[in-house]
Amino acid sequence: MPRLAFAALAAIALALVAVVASLAVGAQQIPAHDVWAAFVDYDAVNPSHQIVRELRVDRTVIGVAAGAALAVAGALTQSLTRNPLADPGLLGLNAGAALAIVLGTVVGGIASFAPQVLLAFVGAAGAGLVAYGVGATGAGAAAPARLVLAGAAVTALLTAVTSAIVVAQPFALNQLRFWLAGSLTGRAGVPVWPLVAFVAIAIALALLAVRPLSAIALGDDAAASLGTRAGLTRAHVLVTVIVLAGLATSLAGPIAFVGLAVPHLVRALVGPRIGWLLVLSIPLGAAVVLLCDVVGRIVARPGEISVGVTTALLGGVLLAALARRMRAVAP
Amino acid sequence: MTLTRPTWVALLLATIMLAAVTLAITYGQTAMPWSDSLQSAAGFTTNTPADFIVGQLRAPRTYTATLVGALLACSGVLLQSVARNPLASPDILGVTQGAAAAAVASIWAFGNTSSLALAPAAVAGALLTSALIVGVGWSRGIQPMRLIVAGIGIGFVASSITTYLLTAIPEHLAPQAYLWTIGSTNARVWEHVAIAAAAVAVTIPLALWLERRLRVLEMGDDLASGLGVRPVRLRLAAIALGALAAGLAAALTGPIGFVALVAPAIARRLVRTEGIALVPSIVAGAALTAVADLLARELFSPTQVPIGLFTAAIGAPYLLYLLHRARGLRS
Repeated sequence: MPRLAFAALAAIALALVAVVASLAVGAQQIPAHDVWAAFVDYDAVNPSHQIVRELRVDRTVIGVAAGAALAVAGALTQSLTRNPLADPGLLGLNAGAALAIVLGTVVGGIASFAPQVLLAFVGAAGAGLVAYGVGATGAGAAAPARLVLAGAAVTALLTAVTSAIVVAQPFALNQLRFWLAGSLTGRAGVPVWPLVAFVAIAIALALLAVRPLSAIALGDDAAASLGTRAGLTRAHVLVTVIVLAGLATSLAGPIAFVGLAVPHLVRALVGPRIGWLLVLSIPLGAAVVLLCDVVGRIVARPGEISVGVTTALLGGVLLAALARRMRAVAP
Repeated sequence: MTLTRPTWVALLLATIMLAAVTLAITYGQTAMPWSDSLQSAAGFTTNTPADFIVGQLRAPRTYTATLVGALLACSGVLLQSVARNPLASPDILGVTQGAAAAAVASIWAFGNTSSLALAPAAVAGALLTSALIVGVGWSRGIQPMRLIVAGIGIGFVASSITTYLLTAIPEHLAPQAYLWTIGSTNARVWEHVAIAAAAVAVTIPLALWLERRLRVLEMGDDLASGLGVRPVRLRLAAIALGALAAGLAAALTGPIGFVALVAPAIARRLVRTEGIALVPSIVAGAALTAVADLLARELFSPTQVPIGLFTAAIGAPYLLYLLHRARGLRS
């Protein structure tokens, strides 16, 4: 498998490059050796070291966790629905989580973080079930575009409600508007490391689904004869996707398209193997989010473009390109 | 005299629209004599409080909302006829988002928020986006499902630009800009009414002129060509006119979602036709926004709720219902 090994190495190398770039690049350029020194030989009065340790480490960690979570969630969704256009962001999961968090903090006055994450799960689950229920079941379930449209409708509704809430509360708006655009800078009071730990656990759960998902890909009957319970696997995957999307949204706001784009990238490298798809989605998801964030820091210097904006730009172009590849039918 | 079904449907919807407009003018937080309110709404001076409350606050807002509804419905009818799909509408196809992005860019660049200044930018944005969508969705003629998926993608690109501009805008302008992106009829003045009336006066006669040909086209390209209609040219003209109407609407109130989708559907259902029903659709759009605007103003009074929230609350579930039935999606 030299090709697969090469793909894996390339993905990991790209992720490492992205991590270094995310630590080094920004309003204040910090040379790579200074970044290195900030970890091995920390100098508390060196401002470069302070920037790296105080700001950019958190930001980079959020990027890695959110990127990996979204990419894996996208890979799971695409495998489960056998729909190349499926993505938690497109399906409205992130918008649902964002609305739940906004409702909890702005309307409900919930300040502590644990209930907010639980709310995010509930929001993601609600949005996802509606979009999936409408878009992927019943007559004409095979049309990939239908799921996208259902997700677009759910997203539009949820985003309208979210905007209406924050608009009525100018104070909340100014606190939340960067996070609502999708940003790695972190909301105030977000405990980064515990969330990252949860992301790691959820990704591990996702990897447990590889074998049964591969079996389901052969069809439910074949899966049953291989000893896989299709219903149980679907539930397992759906719950994992919801948890991943909720965690990613809690960390970085509603970022769309990472879950759409990264699995396509991985499939171009390794073909339709579900195991490799999920594993390589982790480094590539992290790399894509971090690189988008770095680009956003460079382009609008000394300001920044939120990472959610950059990913949506790239992802929108990708979706248009995928549309271009859809089979043409005679008029 | 017996009326044809489209005529009496249009009359019925017009009655609803007039009732909503009258109610919006005469009913409100401040009670006033009906005669004063109606006179002020018609532009007469009564030397009563109605001159300000109705003449300057209620009437311009209500009229603008109603006219914008007509514009949106007109755009929706044209695009749905061209795409041969009840799901096509400027907000699904990304045309509205393109108009909004261009308008917000113009606010951001020139700091001018008057609708007259925004209109050229919004129209240019709408036309540019629709050209892009047609470019991507084109292959031996317009491919409806491709057009829709491409539109969702391009819509995401446009909204990500808007999102970025919203984070880049100064804090004191942010609530206003945010409100603008959901669609708001709050604080419209007579200038808006004048622009809206002019927009309606230009686009709707043109649309009526196209309607007959589009109806022929719905019978099939070959038959239409035989009858002297040039299909490609007609489709492009209809898309351009639809984009123009959507862009003007967006310049006046911001992107009010789902009206363009729902109004033609209501009209089609009442008229009991699968084809184009321009006049009933336009009246349905006007009635829809008139009612939604009244609700937005009074339901949670004194808190103002953006009208876009109400149209999304009506339209998104309707879209999901359409998808659930999955008609018109088998390409």
